[in-house]
Amino acid sequence: MSNSLFIDIGSYQKQKDGEDCFGDTIYSKKIPEERRVISILSDGLGSGVKANILSSMTTRMAMKFMEDNTDLLRSSEIMMDALPICQIRKISYATFSIVDSELEGKTRIFEMDNPRYIFIRNNKSLAIKGREFSSPKWKDRSISVSQMTTQPEDRIILMSDGVTQAGLGNKRYPLGWGRQGCIDFVLSELEKDPHISSQNLAQKIVEEALSKEIDKKAGDDISCVSIYFRTPRKLLVLTGPPFDEDKDKEIADMVAEYDGKIAICGGTTSNIIERELCLKCEVDKSSFDTEIPMASTMEGVDLVTEGILTLTDAYRMLKEGIDRKPNVASVRLVNLLLGSDRIDFVVGTKINVAHQDPSLPMELEIRRNIVKKIFRLLQSQYLKEISVRYL
Amino acid sequence: MEKVKVKICCGTSCFVMGAAQIQVLEFAPPADIADKIEIEEARCMNHCKDTTAKYNRGPFVMVNDELIEEANFEKVVNKIREILNQEK
Repeated sequence: MSNSLFIDIGSYQKQKDGEDCFGDTIYSKKIPEERRVISILSDGLGSGVKANILSSMTTRMAMKFMEDNTDLLRSSEIMMDALPICQIRKISYATFSIVDSELEGKTRIFEMDNPRYIFIRNNKSLAIKGREFSSPKWKDRSISVSQMTTQPEDRIILMSDGVTQAGLGNKRYPLGWGRQGCIDFVLSELEKDPHISSQNLAQKIVEEALSKEIDKKAGDDISCVSIYFRTPRKLLVLTGPPFDEDKDKEIADMVAEYDGKIAICGGTTSNIIERELCLKCEVDKSSFDTEIPMASTMEGVDLVTEGILTLTDAYRMLKEGIDRKPNVASVRLVNLLLGSDRIDFVVGTKINVAHQDPSLPMELEIRRNIVKKIFRLLQSQYLKEISVRYL
Repeated sequence: MEKVKVKICCGTSCFVMGAAQIQVLEFAPPADIADKIEIEEARCMNHCKDTTAKYNRGPFVMVNDELIEEANFEKVVNKIREILNQEK
């Protein structure tokens, strides 16, 4: 298996009480060709529309500079020069935190004036020493750069000062919730649910911060970005009706709860899922091919295809290379298989009586056999991690 | 006038028995019926399992409420024309 990581980014924001728009801006982008993910959180001076403009400008500019690998000091100078100057405070101001991650594990974090990021590994918050830079032009503002090699299950959390200062002035939190308060909260949440998604974690942090505020009214924009470095992508391949009809519910639950991509290969199998989960399954006519039955679309499922013919053709193409149009069901199945690192096959072993008829003009494989051929090939030739379960 | 509904089974056995050739109806229908039909592809409709015949009588196509066994392009088109003529 490759060392590549999967990076799950989630964010959540709450604007200052009484404001219509967010004063903080969050912007994340994947650059697939460089296998890089960049995520930026910026807090604009003040709140409302003015802050929104300042922070939006900052994130957009910073993203461009990061993508182009422009020298950081130079780009920060340009950003500070470009921002409009606040008439009251006579400064142009927006803070930022930037996380620049490569999927192989190298991550750099650039920060200016935001609360320091939180880095969590093995359920502990690690303090990483950053290097400080400042531009001769803007001496009072310094940029901190830290670098780390990320591992699966690492998490990085960025937040605006609305999080750390939540509850400021409140009797219980005279100086605000604080960064440490946030760290303690995150660690306790991770203890409860170690695999919590970034989105849920970011939302919990913001909601917790809000609960510290007087009357639960946000005194400042509260924003949080959560980044979760995860082990690679999973795919569930479900094929064939279970031998025992009582298991229909079980496979449907598997589909509903699976935390990865899902492919269903089999007309009857998809009918079962459609029935059990009350989902609508429709034939996708763009996948027409004279040799392979068309694929269907179903909400929450990445691919629905016919069974044996598609699997047989996918096996052939895994061996010989893809030789059909990209939209054809079997090609899409092959691409899904190749795009995943861990593939879980769930094979229903009920024999389809209609397939045993010797008058059928084509050799129809028995499901178990074709699945066995496919996963052995995926293991040996494509180094995938495979699990197979027969039902 | 209501369109004639044609439901083509694209389950495995119907497909290998020739359902793909009937699907041509969707992409290149005969001119006289082209705008009078509504094609729907279905996943296995279970007729292959229900049939009392010993051997598979697919491909199965439903034209309105009528089931056509051992369907082919000709048979389906004729059935559609028959229904359209009745309605005239």
